Amino acid sequence: MELERLVVIWCPLLQQEGGRGEEARRFVQVVARAGEICPWVHPIRLGVCALPARGPARFFGGEEMVVRHLVEAVEEDASVGVADGLFAAILAARSQLIVPAGEVAQFLAPWSVATLARPELAVTLQRLGVTTLGQFAALPAPHVSDRFGADAAACHRLSRGESGELAGVRDRAIDRRLRVARGEDPDLGSEPPPFQPGFFGGASAAETRAALSFARVQERLGVDAVLVGRLRGGRDPSEQAALVPWGSPEAEGPAAGGAPWPGRLPAPSPTRVLGVPQRAEMVDATGRAVVVSGRGLLEAEVDRLSVEGGPWQPVVAWAGPWPVTERWWSVRRRRARLQVVMADGTARLLYNERTQWWVEALYD
Amino acid sequence: MFAFPTEIPAEKPVEKSVPLRSRELPVGLADRVRPTTPAAGRLLPVPAPLVPLFPDGALRRGTTTTVAGEPGHGATTLALALLAAVSQAGSWCAAVGLPDPGVVAAAELGIDLRRVVFVPHPGRGWAEAAGDLLPGVDVVLVRPPGRARGTVARHLAARVRDRQAALVVLVERVSDWPQGGDLALTVGDVEWQGIGQGHGHLQRRRAEVRVSGRRSAGRDTECTLWLPADSGVVSAATATAKGEDGSVGAGPDNGPKAA
Repeated sequence: MELERLVVIWCPLLQQEGGRGEEARRFVQVVARAGEICPWVHPIRLGVCALPARGPARFFGGEEMVVRHLVEAVEEDASVGVADGLFAAILAARSQLIVPAGEVAQFLAPWSVATLARPELAVTLQRLGVTTLGQFAALPAPHVSDRFGADAAACHRLSRGESGELAGVRDRAIDRRLRVARGEDPDLGSEPPPFQPGFFGGASAAETRAALSFARVQERLGVDAVLVGRLRGGRDPSEQAALVPWGSPEAEGPAAGGAPWPGRLPAPSPTRVLGVPQRAEMVDATGRAVVVSGRGLLEAEVDRLSVEGGPWQPVVAWAGPWPVTERWWSVRRRRARLQVVMADGTARLLYNERTQWWVEALYD
Repeated sequence: MFAFPTEIPAEKPVEKSVPLRSRELPVGLADRVRPTTPAAGRLLPVPAPLVPLFPDGALRRGTTTTVAGEPGHGATTLALALLAAVSQAGSWCAAVGLPDPGVVAAAELGIDLRRVVFVPHPGRGWAEAAGDLLPGVDVVLVRPPGRARGTVARHLAARVRDRQAALVVLVERVSDWPQGGDLALTVGDVEWQGIGQGHGHLQRRRAEVRVSGRRSAGRDTECTLWLPADSGVVSAATATAKGEDGSVGAGPDNGPKAA
């Protein structure tokens, strides 16, 4: 299947609506000015609009010329990119690239799985050692769909370049929001007002400066280098919270309060939650491995710990295990967590799964 | 990559280092220029229990504060706590080079997550990333990957003065930041309480924190903090708590709560 070739115009400063709606009004102008030189410009969400590339490319004599004309026309800080499919074209715009037709999978391969804006999937994939879209694409399709479900299967097709778009990329209320910004009657609807993130409610000068500086770091290090924290329910420290790219749709959502899940450890929480857990061995005074019994109890007193084959360090205190049984994408996981304090005063959170201990987090 | 840039070279803004205005001005005046900073005032608030650590009772704009401590002894907790009151007051903060930040812990410390961005993996570009962020945020927390080079530290400190932001540098030893901060907070001895041999849970960590540096007015002070206390916030530990052991169920005797 051939994906539609799209030009995307991305205005980093107009992605978030401030209190006065100025961003939406300026974005309306961007769409209108782009529409004066190219047909079929349609807004995707605030700060992002797309148009088919083929016609204008023929008219202007190449995609570079289309990009050049658009950059001049919009009169805003805008990045323009061209690629097959909307998802890749947005990434291309953020990196200011023209990705040749048919090479979308190669273009997507080095991007992090976090760019899919599916934090739970990204966390799980990263635990499995799958960090890039290329590695994700290399997984067999039936396995992905069996284990992770339909939405992940859609992400998988996308990362293979077989589809061009993901659910959630388009703001379904965008046309309506822009009608409001144009001062038109947003038909007779009684839709709730567009969600305004706490980010951009305040002094707009400070917000603009902040947004500009984040965009600069994204330019330097990549879109997913600048992250914001979001809380949600979950037992493991890695599941209670997520880091999502700044400016992504998830970052704009309300920060759900930490739902009190049963089995969650009491505060204080660890200040460093390892993206990739460290394998650990734990033994009692006689050198036998410490295991968790079927009843969820430690079968021996903890004496020392070795992380990733490192030297044995004496354990002076420990607490737990706190058993956790939960369904996680239809794979039943039995876990038990343990807090340990070492002789040097440092503390760690470990978990045990299938008799293997892992260091999950550090209390620095 | 089979792709080529769409950027039009002529439109690219020339990247020039900002003239270090504050250095060229006479002493006294240098401290007062840059009133264009929208957030008025020269001080950025810190949580109440940390006020005694600072000569001004707050983070001073244009200065560098180092937070030093052995890995695992709570320096990260102390550094993150310095973002709590500032973010609650509506200022943007950034944390550069904290590899796997504990978001829940950050929230427990009182950080407003809507006001903090994390750049966990800046790689070799940590100083550049911090420099990029300085014009846009009020506090940048940066953790260099090792000992910082002298020129890098000087340049960043100068940019901090020029931009009138506050820089917090998280290091293992004070000497890892060649300039030495304007103020240096060092976490010394620590002790976890509430956890025993197979019972209780990590409840609070008692930590000795030493204050030194150019702006400490020549007097090195020491204080004892819960880093963090039971609820995850930072609070002051009283001297009488010193002898308390880690027995389970023993509540903190000063009822730590952040302001």
